[in-house]
Amino acid sequence: MEGEPFERRLSRADLLRLAALAAGAGVVAGPAAAADAAVARLTQESGRLQVMDWAGYGNDGGQAMFAAYVHQHPQNKPQFTHMTSESNALGQIHSGAHPDLFRPYVGWVKYFAKSGLVQPWNPSLIPNFKHLNKFMVKAGQFNGKQYGIPDDWGFDSILYRKDKVHAKEQSWSLLFDSRYKGKIAWFDDLEMITIAGLYLHAKNPWNQTSAELSRSVTFLKSKKHLARLIWASEADLDQAFAQGDVWIAYAWPNDWVQMKAKKLPVVYMHPKEKPIAWVGMFMLLKGTPRPHLAHAYVNAWSSKKSGKWLEDNYGYGHANVQARPQSSQLLRALQLTNPKAVTLPNAYLDRDIPQRAQYAQLWEEVKRA
Amino acid sequence: MAAPVPRRRRRPRLATPALLGLPLGWLVVFLLVPVAIVALYSVDVLSLFPGPHSFALGGWYRLFHQGYMSLFWKSAKMSLIVSALVVATAYPLAYFLALSGTRRKYVLLLLLIAPFLTSYLLRVLAWKVILGDQGVINSFLSSVGLHPLSFLLYSRFAVMIVLGYVWLPFVALPIFVTLDTLDRRLLEAASDLYASRLQAFVRVTLPLSMPGVVAAFLFVFIPTVGEFVTPSLVGGTSGYMYGNQIVDLFQQGFPDWETGATLALFLIAVISVLTFVFVRFLRLGEARVA
Amino acid sequence: MDVALSRNGRRIMRVFFGIVLVFLYAPIAILLVFSFNNADIPAFPLSGFTLRWYHAFLHNGDLQAALETSAIVATITSIIAVALGILASIGISRSRFRGRGAATTLLLVPLVIPLVVLGLSLFLLFHVLGVQLSILTIAVGHVVIVIPYTILVLLPRLEQIDRALGEAAYDLGAGPLTTFRRVTLPLILPAVVSALLIAFTTSFDEYAVASFLAGTRQTFPIYLYSALRFPTQLPQVIAVAVVVLCASLVVIVAAELWRRRAEARLEAPA
Repeated sequence: MEGEPFERRLSRADLLRLAALAAGAGVVAGPAAAADAAVARLTQESGRLQVMDWAGYGNDGGQAMFAAYVHQHPQNKPQFTHMTSESNALGQIHSGAHPDLFRPYVGWVKYFAKSGLVQPWNPSLIPNFKHLNKFMVKAGQFNGKQYGIPDDWGFDSILYRKDKVHAKEQSWSLLFDSRYKGKIAWFDDLEMITIAGLYLHAKNPWNQTSAELSRSVTFLKSKKHLARLIWASEADLDQAFAQGDVWIAYAWPNDWVQMKAKKLPVVYMHPKEKPIAWVGMFMLLKGTPRPHLAHAYVNAWSSKKSGKWLEDNYGYGHANVQARPQSSQLLRALQLTNPKAVTLPNAYLDRDIPQRAQYAQLWEEVKRA
Repeated sequence: MAAPVPRRRRRPRLATPALLGLPLGWLVVFLLVPVAIVALYSVDVLSLFPGPHSFALGGWYRLFHQGYMSLFWKSAKMSLIVSALVVATAYPLAYFLALSGTRRKYVLLLLLIAPFLTSYLLRVLAWKVILGDQGVINSFLSSVGLHPLSFLLYSRFAVMIVLGYVWLPFVALPIFVTLDTLDRRLLEAASDLYASRLQAFVRVTLPLSMPGVVAAFLFVFIPTVGEFVTPSLVGGTSGYMYGNQIVDLFQQGFPDWETGATLALFLIAVISVLTFVFVRFLRLGEARVA
Repeated sequence: MDVALSRNGRRIMRVFFGIVLVFLYAPIAILLVFSFNNADIPAFPLSGFTLRWYHAFLHNGDLQAALETSAIVATITSIIAVALGILASIGISRSRFRGRGAATTLLLVPLVIPLVVLGLSLFLLFHVLGVQLSILTIAVGHVVIVIPYTILVLLPRLEQIDRALGEAAYDLGAGPLTTFRRVTLPLILPAVVSALLIAFTTSFDEYAVASFLAGTRQTFPIYLYSALRFPTQLPQVIAVAVVVLCASLVVIVAAELWRRRAEARLEAPA
């Protein structure tokens, strides 16, 4: 096994002992399990695993995702801090929070990898790793190292009511359609600038030139009055949609499932400019005292059982290609039979934004206008 | 033999100003010092990201040149309207409780104030249900054949009505206190001098209750200028306010603590000036009435 | 003849007051209704009566933890804030000194600070000092918010108490601490209880400042706000919050009424 030392104090003697133990134990039990147990015993990672995650993924509803981990490591049950956004997580980490792992989304992988705040994972310690979607796995790599382990995923596209809305074409233009003034919902994130760039045919929406940016921002400002709501939380969107306050919205596949459950005639669009795909990425912080426990946690998350639970209950896709939801509608919406769903030619996988700070500033400007 | 007479000890100040030391100290450490720190962040003397930095006025430049001022003015206007309406609504209520001699005035006052002490977030959520396109109001309108109103929710109107709703109970109290301590004999004297009730109100009650009214106005206006929770829940696109902007600079997109601190400091400065001016006005008013 | 209101005026006022009360309590009633509604999303039309949200709360570990955290923070806050409030009120009411006005102003300033500013500045303070965010940091912020309320409740009561009582105790040989313990405190006890309750409920419900200062443990309002991000969590949180809301209403009203009665009794001639 790859005896890659983690960023903690492991002496040479420790490493040799580790190798011997693993070799010996490997004869008796499975290699990964033995390595796991041996290393844990040797390095004696203790204390509760500190996980920084989004709301709904901890003990506030997401217990099934890591139940296997809790079963295996009852002494190191996870303790959760909340992140409300990657920016919020960044601020927290700089302010002295010490999570062992956290979960930004794919667009931030490169930023965090370069920031010196995180360290790469060791996939050989994650038995379920081989079942994860290859394209998503690739998106979590930087400089050949696996900085992000993909977990949940979905699309960004448009949800609309087919009984109230006549879409001239399947396009992002529906978000900016003046016929439906006051019935449209945008998303509260600088991604709207990316979408504007996508719609206006910028060469690279994630890295627009200043001319393209200026065009996107002016465009958004001119169309902002058409949007009734700029939603930041799904519950907001779902409530507004269900109450009939909006008919057209930037939305995720789960929102489509929710609205269908409410018996609304809704369509989840595949725009001709292509939807954007997002993937959540577990990242391991540098200097964590519990790296192996973190790997065990991610492994539990990556299982087929967890994947199925996530899809059935939260309506998000899961990176484990064996996970299939019960709902055939969700299966269709997520295009789960297509392993290349998240990437071209089907969709644009979200990616790093080199000028993120500027995009953020411009988005705030749009909101202020 | 008579009992010994206790010698009269010199009475030290039982309650010396030193008692104030602890509470004042708390506020100095946890209110004044933090504000000073905000000031340091706004000029980049302190910063989120490690690395070299020094005094710089970039944040202040951005404050005045990138549309933050119009956002501030928009928020201030909304707060002004809300505060004026709330005070105007609360005044008659307080007047009724204080001056009509009703027996159960304290209970009624309590009923008026109690909602203020309950969950703020939930009250905002309840309004979302009331104001929505298929909410209470609109479903009622539809059922009688009228067209539903779409400006009710996710609009500036929604922000104002919810803020008004939240602050109304709070505002009734200072006005009530002022009116309650009003000397009724003044009103009786006015009546003896053949003044009508309206004249008595305009020339006696209203001027004397002005300090309470001004205090009440400030008590609503100042916190609502910086509000961010209500606008984020019911404000929609057009209800985006100054407070939201500050929070976003810290929590969203990409952290920009320098600009956020600058916006916060500007808000504090405006409020301090306002409070100072109003207190001066109050002092002058009191001097005139006395 | 009533010098302040005519009979018609009274009638109009009563109606107006009634309308305002309906306006104030209607949203609360609506929440109550939705806590029994059999649907994931609080929207009309209603979908049938159910108690399952109240049951679901019993299995939601994080929700219970959030309630517990809020209770702990509120307890710490109310004890510290009332203690400081007592000190401040005694200090202000019993002595006359040059800076009294300025001191009183500073103590009441938190009433008019926008919470976003307070939360933000304390967040930066702790960041600079390297203090990790925790229950204590939230309590610190809440104490700042609540001190003026405690003073506004305690100070009038202290000024009401006859100073001669304290001086008499002193003349009989009691030191300042004994005087406080055996004379002042019993007399202001109803106000102290009131202040504790106000401090507790304010802290329990506070979101804005807590959102900046919370560490690994969430308070209930923070949990509630983030439940808005996950539709499935919302109904049970509403159910719990309705319970909290009704409980705090009842407690506050009952306590205030008790306080008035207790104080009246303390003042009544023997």
